[in-house]
Amino acid sequence: MIEFRHVSKTYAGSDRPVVNDLSFEVLDGEICVLVGPSGCGKTTSMRMVNRLIEITEGEILIDGEPNTSMSGTQLRRKIGYAIQQIGLFPHRTIADNIGTVPNLLGWEKGRIRERVNDLLDLVGLSPDEYRDRYPAELSGGQQQRVGVARALAADPPIMLMDEPFGAVDPITRERLQDEFLHIQEDIKKTIVFVTHDIDEAIKMGDKIAILKQGGVLAQYDTPQTILSRPNSEFVSSFVGGDRLLKRLSLTRVSELDLGPANGGTDGLPRISDGLTVRDALSELMGSGQSKAVVEKDGEKKLLTFQDIEALTSSGAMGGGKRSA
Amino acid sequence: MLSKIMGVFARPDFPLLLREHVVLSAVALLIAVAVALPVALLVRNTPLGATIAINVGNIGRAVPSLAILALALPFLGIGFASALVALTALAIPPILINASIGLREVRQDIIDAARGMGLSGGQILTRIQLPIAAPVIFAGIRTSAVQTVASATLATFIGAGGLGDLIVEGLQRRGPRYCSQGPSPSRSLRSSRSSASAGSRGPSPRRGCRSRRREEVVN
Ligand SMILES: Nc1ncnc2c1ncn2[C@@H]1O[C@H](COP(=O)(O)OP(=O)(O)OP(=O)(O)O)[C@@H](O)[C@H]1O
Ligand SMILES: [Mg+2]
Repeated sequence: MIEFRHVSKTYAGSDRPVVNDLSFEVLDGEICVLVGPSGCGKTTSMRMVNRLIEITEGEILIDGEPNTSMSGTQLRRKIGYAIQQIGLFPHRTIADNIGTVPNLLGWEKGRIRERVNDLLDLVGLSPDEYRDRYPAELSGGQQQRVGVARALAADPPIMLMDEPFGAVDPITRERLQDEFLHIQEDIKKTIVFVTHDIDEAIKMGDKIAILKQGGVLAQYDTPQTILSRPNSEFVSSFVGGDRLLKRLSLTRVSELDLGPANGGTDGLPRISDGLTVRDALSELMGSGQSKAVVEKDGEKKLLTFQDIEALTSSGAMGGGKRSA
Repeated sequence: MLSKIMGVFARPDFPLLLREHVVLSAVALLIAVAVALPVALLVRNTPLGATIAINVGNIGRAVPSLAILALALPFLGIGFASALVALTALAIPPILINASIGLREVRQDIIDAARGMGLSGGQILTRIQLPIAAPVIFAGIRTSAVQTVASATLATFIGAGGLGDLIVEGLQRRGPRYCSQGPSPSRSLRSSRSSASAGSRGPSPRRGCRSRRREEVVN
């Protein structure tokens, strides 16, 4: 668990704090997304966790211990960090890059080798093909995967990820996000994740911390709550006018309580139950029909506009995207 | 002509002059490396320091070799010491410039990533900064070596011997014989030195570095 306790940061030579009295907790196994406009102090907040930046006031506890209880380098070897610019070492192979921290920790060669192969598999790069390449021989998206694998290498319980999917096109980003959420189901890391993209925050976060200018915490909550009950003008405008639709994207069709499809379903559009309700709504509207057939466990169910409307008016939306 | 040139190698004083030349250049180069590299390492993390080092190096490069010899003379008198000081002063700038630039050009995000993974300052230097900067640093040493061997011919003017003696002798006799005999061994020594140090540039540029910009400021 990571606890921010009244954390402030004022850079030397400035009289205004860039992070102001920040307090929140990141529970074990959860992804906490820091999101906010440019310059609001996201990177600064994240880098105070592993003490790349020293705190001016307040403290950060990791599993109940202040993060100042050990040396900075020791602390950083226990916390995986994927920096915004990836920063792979150009003179080292992919395998050596990923093996950096295990190497520092004195793992034996065979163990490092095995770990590197496992991680390359995990991030979807074939070890045989990529182990011995150099970073310049990889595409941007592949480099980003290696960056994430490198941060995971010594199996640290805590990960800091600064816009880890920032340098790729939207389609690749979506795929990397999906893959990472899938990996997280297994590895259950405690993650601080920085982005300036609210859609990414909603997708990735168990909790979202929205920061505003001057490093003030505007709201800290689950994505569902932030979308349904933004606590200020700033948050609702940051979340955007389409927050109702964004809420729909938090729920999958398979999570809806649908009525059975009796009788004539011929001519009705078919919708996969793996889609988000938002995508299902789009398909439904595109089909020109008022209902569609969803097949679930071999059973045929009927999806109507009413089902979707009921979802937006009830408070109980977006049960758990992780369980989807 | 060719046989006349070859004749110089048979001169009885040739081995001595050659040895003086090699010793003078080698010692000057070693001292220059020992001075310039630590300075470059010292200023590597302060942009201002690196800029100053590079500019001092550039000014140093603009001073003519003979002028440095003349400057050393009043203090150290005639002979080896003066020549050594002058040559060392000439040998330092290329090494200082390239080492400072090579270390400065290691991208900040790479160093940042290394720090974020828990490498200490020393580990960042030996595992990240030096290997990445190595090709540029070695290029500086090679340039310096070539230049030192060439300038060591001037040592003859302050009585420090070397192959320059042959050149001057040839000039004084107003005959082309030694005049062309002098420079030719010095020239071939220079090129063998250059290829020798090129062969020992440390880690040869590896595949991954291929696409990286390798700045060789002096070459
Ligand atoms: N080393 C520094 N010295 C002084 N001020 C700094 C320093 N680093 C950052 N700042 C300032 O602190 C503020 C917050 O910076 P930070 O990098 O944390 O923003 P951010 O939220 O990560 O922004 P972005 O989304 O653009 O990356 C900015 O106004 C920035 O100018
Ligand atoms: Mg940032």
